[in-house]
Amino acid sequence: MKAFKTLFVSELKLIIRDCNTIFFGVGFSAVLAVILGLVMGDKPAFEGASYTMFEQSFGAVASIGIAATGLMGVPLALSDYRHRKILRRFKVTPVSPAILLMVQLAVNFIISIISLIGVYGVSALFFGFRLGENVGGFLLAYLIVLLSVFSIGMLVASVSPNMKAAELLCSILYFPMLLLSGATLPYEIMPKVLQKASDILPLTQGIKLLKGAALGLPAENVLAPIIIMLAFIVICAAISVRFFRWE
Amino acid sequence: MESILTVNGLRKSYGNFTAVDNLSFEVKKGEIFGLLGHNGAGKSTSIECILGVKVPDGGDIKILGMNSVKDRKKLFEKVGVQFQESNYQTKIKVDEICKVTSSFYKNPVDWRKLIVTFGLSGKEKSLVYDLSGGERQRLSVLLALIPKPELVFLDELTTGLDAKARRDIWKYLKMLKDNGLTIVLTSHYMDEVEALCDRIHILKKGKTVAEGSVSDVISGASCNNLEDAYLYYSGEEIENESI
Repeated sequence: MKAFKTLFVSELKLIIRDCNTIFFGVGFSAVLAVILGLVMGDKPAFEGASYTMFEQSFGAVASIGIAATGLMGVPLALSDYRHRKILRRFKVTPVSPAILLMVQLAVNFIISIISLIGVYGVSALFFGFRLGENVGGFLLAYLIVLLSVFSIGMLVASVSPNMKAAELLCSILYFPMLLLSGATLPYEIMPKVLQKASDILPLTQGIKLLKGAALGLPAENVLAPIIIMLAFIVICAAISVRFFRWE
Repeated sequence: MESILTVNGLRKSYGNFTAVDNLSFEVKKGEIFGLLGHNGAGKSTSIECILGVKVPDGGDIKILGMNSVKDRKKLFEKVGVQFQESNYQTKIKVDEICKVTSSFYKNPVDWRKLIVTFGLSGKEKSLVYDLSGGERQRLSVLLALIPKPELVFLDELTTGLDAKARRDIWKYLKMLKDNGLTIVLTSHYMDEVEALCDRIHILKKGKTVAEGSVSDVISGASCNNLEDAYLYYSGEEIENESI
């Protein structure tokens, strides 16, 4: 426990010192929330909608932190630690290299939560956004999306033979998901063709889930995304466990 | 004398390449044991197999009476390791890596004292990657000593150090030896080996070509000094002459 705590504090400092995850995960999402709030104002999502366009976008913007930590933070750190034989050094100590893996997941989880708090804070403070009655449902949805995206990140860390491959895979997953899943550009304003293409991205489904929870939409609308998210968790985690290498 | 490390018939190959071929030796408590050989002779592979980081193809290894894979948690409370290339997290500071390393052990040495001993005072808040090569090398030896080990493995312990820093580390290691520490080291510097090692073992292409005390090895090769004897046993020239 002492090792976990000390390592956690140290890795948290490292991730903050490194700036990348903070910039993409925390700063970017909060700034985007401000921009969307200014652009969209109080416009309703569509004619006669009970919620505004901004409220509709909240779930999407809230997912940026998950994507930045899960698709960049976790896999890049783990690939780097393996590549530079830092995990190997743990093998000749009383603690397992698995502790470093756990700490990485925990640290990135915290950064993701900070990002969520930032987006919510900005939205609530400047644009009067409220999560509505289903706060618990939203947090549960957030956790499911986080687990599924982190499991994709673990998969990348597991199958990448080297640092270059990890960086390439992360970019291939991260940027299209960021741009096309609705996290930055609202899904609703995309042409039908793009929406169809976007639907195959796991984060699109995750955002649908977050949106459903944030807007208090009926549960049957989110059943499909839930199943898809859970499937991602099971499949990616299984493959990760099977193929993960310490060096 | 109590046996701290026994290696019996260690073998390791990578595909068709035999890295270590039937290596056997024993290290007794309080000894400094040197594993010598050219780059690629199998020193690091042997150490990695002994430590359980690599899986040997065959052989029997006992450290402090334990198995390095099965008894890992218990064993590495008492065994310190410095690998040849020590890598650290990119932006980690000296005091942070010391604190983290200390947190792994039940009874670590006070790392602040080691910092003074190894001449790294004032560097606590420096990034490890901003240290000079010599400072980083001293840090890697320091980290291996944090567990207050009974046995320590030092792979190329003074590579990249200047004469003064090397002498300082020798002095410190001798002091630890006098306090009962057992040391297994590899080195390319024969003056260092002569100054430190009680017994040595020379490897060539994974095979043992000489073993014994420094004076045994020198007289066995009919040479005047260890460097000549080392080259005699591990060098290529001799092989060409015999053809």
